[in-house]
Amino acid sequence: MKMTDAAFQSSYGVSFRRFCEVMQRIAETRGNNRKISLFADYLRSLPDEADVALAVQFAGEGAFSSVSGKRASVGHRTVAVCAAGFCDIDYELVFRACRTATGSASEAIEKLMENLPAAIAKRKPALLSLTETEALFQRLEKERSREGKQALLTEAWTQMTPAEIKFFIRVMGQGSLRIGFESRSITAALAAAFDHDPEDVRYARMITGSLGRTAVLCRRNELSSARFRLFQPIAFMLASPVESRAVEDLTAYLAEEKFDGMRCQLHAEGGKVALFSRDLNEITESFPEVVADFSAKMMPAAVLDGELCVFRDDTIQPFQELQKRMGVKKPGAGVLKKHPVVFIAYDLLFVEGQPLFGEPLKQRREQLETLCEAHGIRRSIQFEIGEEGDVERFFDRALAHGNEGLMLKHPESTYEYGQRRKSWLKVKKPGGTLDTVIMYAHAGSGKRGGTYSDFTLGVSVRDDERYEEEFIPIGKAYGGYTDEELKKLNQAMKPLIADRFGPTYSLKPGIVVELEFDGIQVNRRTKAGYTLRFPRFRAIRWDLSPADAGTLRDVERLAEEKLTADRTPQKGHRSFR
Amino acid sequence: MSKETNLNYRLERGHGIILPDAEVGLDVSGNVARHIFVSHAHADHLPRDRHMHVYASPATARLMRVRGFQGDVTELAFRQPVEFDRCRVTLWPAGHILGSAMIEVETDAGRVLYTGDYKTPPSPVTEGFACPEATDFFITEATFPLPIYRWRPHEELFAEMRSFASEALGEGYTPVFLGYNLGKAQEIMHGLAPLGVPMQIHGAGYELCRVYEEAGIALGNWEKYDRATVQDGRILITPSSSLDAPMLRNIRRKRVAYVSGWATHESRRVQLTIDKLFPLSDHIDFFELLELTEKLNPRKVYITHTPNPRVVQHYLAERGIASQPLEMEGYEDD
Repeated sequence: MKMTDAAFQSSYGVSFRRFCEVMQRIAETRGNNRKISLFADYLRSLPDEADVALAVQFAGEGAFSSVSGKRASVGHRTVAVCAAGFCDIDYELVFRACRTATGSASEAIEKLMENLPAAIAKRKPALLSLTETEALFQRLEKERSREGKQALLTEAWTQMTPAEIKFFIRVMGQGSLRIGFESRSITAALAAAFDHDPEDVRYARMITGSLGRTAVLCRRNELSSARFRLFQPIAFMLASPVESRAVEDLTAYLAEEKFDGMRCQLHAEGGKVALFSRDLNEITESFPEVVADFSAKMMPAAVLDGELCVFRDDTIQPFQELQKRMGVKKPGAGVLKKHPVVFIAYDLLFVEGQPLFGEPLKQRREQLETLCEAHGIRRSIQFEIGEEGDVERFFDRALAHGNEGLMLKHPESTYEYGQRRKSWLKVKKPGGTLDTVIMYAHAGSGKRGGTYSDFTLGVSVRDDERYEEEFIPIGKAYGGYTDEELKKLNQAMKPLIADRFGPTYSLKPGIVVELEFDGIQVNRRTKAGYTLRFPRFRAIRWDLSPADAGTLRDVERLAEEKLTADRTPQKGHRSFR
Repeated sequence: MSKETNLNYRLERGHGIILPDAEVGLDVSGNVARHIFVSHAHADHLPRDRHMHVYASPATARLMRVRGFQGDVTELAFRQPVEFDRCRVTLWPAGHILGSAMIEVETDAGRVLYTGDYKTPPSPVTEGFACPEATDFFITEATFPLPIYRWRPHEELFAEMRSFASEALGEGYTPVFLGYNLGKAQEIMHGLAPLGVPMQIHGAGYELCRVYEEAGIALGNWEKYDRATVQDGRILITPSSSLDAPMLRNIRRKRVAYVSGWATHESRRVQLTIDKLFPLSDHIDFFELLELTEKLNPRKVYITHTPNPRVVQHYLAERGIASQPLEMEGYEDD
């Protein structure tokens, strides 16, 4: 079917192809202002706010908005093997040589799609719209099997030009499009396109946590509505590992103990209370005792940032106990009694109609103290760091409490929602824990005979250019689980079995295990280059998916952390009041 | 004629190949064979001994002298076989740079075609491209030996280069084209000539341009680089080695284009801080290489000047053509 010129023009306007052409032009343009004005012109020309939202999201966040927590979850190797098949070339010999020469798989694929007769014959570019492209990403996200994902990729690429395919792969990866055009420039382009103050756009972006949502507000001229609203969660401020940041003066920070619990945002007004988890999901129903506690306080409208912990016998209980509560929608009376949860506040974001994000921490803290005093709310204790050596002392004390370590917070910092900068630093027990994926299950012997009780666990190298696999082994662990958990684990394994080698099953990624270990050693004979010392199960994380697993980079970072000195408990000290 | 399956050859120190049966040296760096042939005037193919006797095409002979060769050059016209005791040698126009020749050596052991560097379809600033109907032993370069390399037609790239230059000039920027002094610079000038804008060329390339014009190749309106006037609506053509030199640093408002087969790679943009990449190469691309090889139907292919012979070998094997890599020093980028 041949389109009329007018029909072509209108479908071209909102097409993914045009988006890619604009991205390519931005890549080929030097100077931020020129890049920004190119993108602004493009955004202004889009007829629909939905298209503006998608274009901005694809450019700045990826196939899915960052707050959605969704990913297409297609590994590098899946993409590469699929592309080699599509182009009818040998993967090992030809594709890998092309990728090595190019230094980028997506770019090599673009060239191959353009050059190889097999690919040219298959491709019938269809001028997909931005929304049609998004629908393809949605289907990729829902598809679980690698074969299914490859079939979808093939279906998508068949309808695309080589440049579309390149950017499709990059957008799908939720990473940078590698065109020298990052988040700040994108908000600047939104401001230019719809005639707003760039600061207002950035503010709206922070409040909404989403570029797409911000784009819609810009276009509707409703930026001022990007106000914080009670019972609508906002992105959490995040902490950076202290070793990852160059900090000149630690004594400028305030310290708190870092609870080994679950981060939570508590919204309350009078008798109404809502709880939100870090991924901005509502978890109110799971913690009725916290809701009951806070609704009885009849507080003024307020939003607290804090931690949920199991608290019993005047002691914060280990994270494993809290896990028995996580994901349980309506816990029964028995569980509630056995694992009672409390909310410990450490920040105040909103009170009596007044947002406090823009206020420095020390002022938010003052108001938090007043509010907590008036309503009997548990809050962390903050202490000043007199000298650098205090950090270590406080840290040891925190561990003695069964806490994870320390949080260091800058008293002058505003609440930087959704950001991970150096205003908040975390000091954690080094070499402690790692979320891993079960790769192999080995038949146990003796007491554990008849079950699969030993496991090879892997970390993600999905986004690691050095590897082609999605996961590589990091260690073998057994023990640390109850018989009941092991039974459940063996059940859950069954649908994941990919292959069998004698007493060993190879499993598709599906089960996440939080490993605890004593240390990390460099071991060049292993694929990862590291082995864990005494790895054991800390918890089976039914609440996590393989996409949440730790990465080899995490292991490398942990390995660099130094071990701390001996820990001596200190009586009479409290981490909250 | 015998039916040997392998070619008798020897690799020479530095660069070049010796065919002992024919007493022929191809692009060798010293006086190591009875008859020595130079395929073209790029440094990695020229003798280091500047005083020996060589055979070359007329344009190569002139370019060699400009580049400092003081020995004796016997000029051979293209397509005119020359008889020696043990062989017959014919130069074929290689389409790479002005004067570039493929060298065909015929002996009792069979026909050898040595490509030097070559390009088909030919660069417009050369004598064109032609080759024998068939050969027995094909010694070919493979600078771009992967299917990610397929060149677009010169005219298409020239048109884009002209728009790049006019747009820059129109916005008050000096367009700078990065390309090496011999061959690429003249190709760029030829492509931009229709603009009629004065072009300045790096000093080392200036003398070489004269040889091109003497050979009847139009390079447009050009002059030697002059610091005082380069920013007055001129286009500058200079090798990428001058990126960090004062010459380019002095030009505050400029737009820089990189013209090379390697411009296929986006990474070059960041590595070199480039505004525009033009993947214009004077080497044969992967697809043309396979097509030409199939047409020549050789007993065996010897692959030289390549970062990776394995992929070409894989595709030749699929076509039933035997091949092997020829390890040579002196492999250089474009």
